[in-house]
Amino acid sequence: MDAVHHDSPAEPVFRGFSLLRDRVPADMAARVASRFAGTVQDRQDDGTAAGRGKPDRAVETLLMERADRDRLRAAFDRSPFLTVELGEGADEAAAPLDDWSGAPAADDPDLPGFYLSLTTGTAYGLQCPVLVCDELVRRGALDPQRRSNVELCLHEAVANAIVHGNLGLSSAVKGEPGGYRRFSEMMRDRLGDPAVTRRRLDIFCRWNGCCIAIAVVDQGGGFDTELAPATTGNKARSGRGFVFMRTLASRVTVTDGGRCTVLQFDR
Amino acid sequence: MDFKTTNTVDATEVWLTGRLEFTDHDRLRDIVELVEQSRARRFVIDMSKLDFIDSAGLGMLLILQEETESRNIKMIVRRPLGDVKRSIDLARLGELISIEP
Repeated sequence: MDAVHHDSPAEPVFRGFSLLRDRVPADMAARVASRFAGTVQDRQDDGTAAGRGKPDRAVETLLMERADRDRLRAAFDRSPFLTVELGEGADEAAAPLDDWSGAPAADDPDLPGFYLSLTTGTAYGLQCPVLVCDELVRRGALDPQRRSNVELCLHEAVANAIVHGNLGLSSAVKGEPGGYRRFSEMMRDRLGDPAVTRRRLDIFCRWNGCCIAIAVVDQGGGFDTELAPATTGNKARSGRGFVFMRTLASRVTVTDGGRCTVLQFDR
Repeated sequence: MDFKTTNTVDATEVWLTGRLEFTDHDRLRDIVELVEQSRARRFVIDMSKLDFIDSAGLGMLLILQEETESRNIKMIVRRPLGDVKRSIDLARLGELISIEP
């Protein structure tokens, strides 16, 4: 994975590299390695870490300029640990300096997993929770029987990260007379702002024999987690996403001032 | 989400397909316009072909409920199935809106 790949024009263009060995500035590489050191470059197909304990572990990464559903599926088929969308028209030299390693450090860096970093403009409407759950099933981490609940929780976490996090929209507007029209207009405005749509949405999945943990990280202003409702049944037009997550996930943890939601599910 | 509409003397029926989620606020505006134009007594939202609904989609149903109520139109959500029914049940939406199995 050290070499930079140039695929034929008919195929999605990926640039694969080892974070620890190529192109990435040393401080960024060190930051990524501290968080994702568990995925080794010479990992076996059965997922065991053949290189575990080696000091020069590398993280498999695929970069793409612009992600869509087909490109992401093709990227996942290569089973990288990190799949990163740089953003359309991104400055290739500067892109690796972008902060696309927002997920928190794993408790156990040797666990298997994968990491997806998208721009908000791409994540909006992409239904990336469907893609992530497809990949969790493909890698044997998620029982198809349990998929539906995981996908709904992940969808709600991603929707919160996009709408309230990176787009910075408050649902309070919806409670006003005709507020849904205003909310729709505000969303359209934000989606037209390149500075907003370049903000990152990061999804970080790890698992072991008994559970799956999925972190969803945004680059918004955060929120007061105390305000998230614990129950539902009233006529409020928003707030049920957290109720779904708390009902269906084994554990929901919100950190970084509301910018990181970690969902944990029993396997 | 996509939808099509049928009108009878008694009801305006909206047939939803696909996924009703946070990216569909523009579609909500379109459906509210149907409510505003309707002269029927009932407004039926058929969900038998809807695959998925999230919390934002449920919020849209409550907005439609208020829009219909304010015009003395009875709103009915018809035949939510599978994951859609799961979300509606989790949110206990049946306590707030009329749902026909």
